[in-house]
Amino acid sequence: MTEPVLDVRNLQLSFGALKATDGVSLTLRPGEIHALIGPNGAGKSTLIGLIAGTLTPDAGQVFLSGRDVTGTDVVARARAGLARSFQVSAVAGELTVLQNVVLAVQGARGQSFRFFRPALGQADLCEAAEAHIARVGLSDRRAVQAGDLAHGERRRLELAMALALCPRAFVLDEPMAGMGPDGAREMTALLDDLRHEAPILLVEHDMDAVFALADRVSVLVSGRVIASGTVAEIRADAEVQRAYLGEEMLE
Amino acid sequence: MGREGVLNWVVALALLAVPLAAHALDEPFIVTLATKVAILALAGVGLNIALGLGGMVSLGHAAFFGIGGYAMAVLAAPVQAYEPLMTWPVELPGTKSMPVIWLAATLAGGLAALAIGALSLRTSGVYFIMITLAFGQMLYYFAISWPAYGGEDGISIYVRNGFPGLNTLDPIQFCALAYGVLMAALLFSRMLARSCFGLALSGARQNPARSAALGIRPYSVKLTAFVISGAITGLAGALFADLNRFVSPAMLSWQTSGEIMVFVILGGVARLFGPVAGAALFILLEHLLGGVSDYWKLFLGLALLGIVLFARGGLIGTLAGREVAHD
Repeated sequence: MTEPVLDVRNLQLSFGALKATDGVSLTLRPGEIHALIGPNGAGKSTLIGLIAGTLTPDAGQVFLSGRDVTGTDVVARARAGLARSFQVSAVAGELTVLQNVVLAVQGARGQSFRFFRPALGQADLCEAAEAHIARVGLSDRRAVQAGDLAHGERRRLELAMALALCPRAFVLDEPMAGMGPDGAREMTALLDDLRHEAPILLVEHDMDAVFALADRVSVLVSGRVIASGTVAEIRADAEVQRAYLGEEMLE
Repeated sequence: MGREGVLNWVVALALLAVPLAAHALDEPFIVTLATKVAILALAGVGLNIALGLGGMVSLGHAAFFGIGGYAMAVLAAPVQAYEPLMTWPVELPGTKSMPVIWLAATLAGGLAALAIGALSLRTSGVYFIMITLAFGQMLYYFAISWPAYGGEDGISIYVRNGFPGLNTLDPIQFCALAYGVLMAALLFSRMLARSCFGLALSGARQNPARSAALGIRPYSVKLTAFVISGAITGLAGALFADLNRFVSPAMLSWQTSGEIMVFVILGGVARLFGPVAGAALFILLEHLLGGVSDYWKLFLGLALLGIVLFARGGLIGTLAGREVAHD
């Protein structure tokens, strides 16, 4: 078996008496989409925070490409190749689409402390950014301020910025959130394409998307992974049905 | 060129034309007034890098302004007293050379900003405002209680420092010098805003969490900008001290911080020429309203209130409209 790109081992984090993350272990293997589902309050966002490095675990470890990154912060993990998207679109609203992606490219290349040449006058930066923008289908919107984009476009911009990091792994926090059926379909196709760049840990509420995309699914309830397996296994799991999926998913 | 570009040229040319015309009409007071505008605008250009580009609301920029002023006094005072600047470990004379003084003031302002910024940037929002204010006040009271340079009374430098090839005692020549430095700082500021660093700073201001997730440390980016900002304001302090041939703790007071911030807000936060327009308007109001009523600051306050409530882009923003993204 190939070595996992992302390997989370027995993560624990409590907020006071609340065990937000209670011994979570999971892996992300090359080329796969691993979906993480769970009801509201299950601790999905906390787990993402622990993986991305915004939160520090009480115990447990995070390995990225075999390297222990548990003690490092968000910036170091981003440089080590972890690209995340945010649940609420996080882009620089006053910058254009192109500027946002150039920012991501220069971040990945460690070129943010260059004071002299205009950022948008540097062909290598712009060409790389344009390629990522084209990949998510925003080329004709590249001069628009990110704050003026429609919701779905902003979601795609986030993916372009994640792509610009040339990551080893994507951690995407509800990329379909707030999208209509058409937008969700487009996003599903886009994610299916992205998996060829790097494996994706996908936190998502949209079950159609999860079942269409995921190679494996883990179910998080009350900070614990209660089940993990293929889509078929998860659909058939009685405990998952009780905890989460509800009646309509069983047909 | 957009409307803002045209407006910038108008402001730049007006600040050149007014003192030249005043010189031709033999009105040295107006020339000095224009020099004051250029120097205070320079202080504002410094603050605008922190406040406008970086979103750091510093109420302590008088510290850098005053440090620049005192850097001038520390270097120039020994010369007029016929004493060395220091005797240990090596004997070093003072200097009356502006380029040397400017370098010292810029470095001193930058170093002070590094120390103050490194601590202050661990906070944000209103705490950042308060802690920069506290550092500024600390230096103010230090200057008051420092007898070597006049304490509360300040210190006079009787002869203006020199610049190679110019007679700085001639108002129009000193004005040209201040104008040149201001234009250089504006060009630098424009270059900075468009560079990769400027983009990173803009990202760190708008969404620090996203910047961090892109591998860009917001703290480092902001601190670097704060140092550059303090250095430019320090340079302005040295020029201001030379304009008045006098340095006192008033340069370090929180009112000075407030006034520098007023220039930026009046003219337009994050607008390249905002501080220039703001300083010009401020000095103009001070001169005109000050002649009408001792309470002119009341009207200034009302004008400020109006700008904050109804014209967020300040003078430049109101006249030029919404900022268009650079292409």
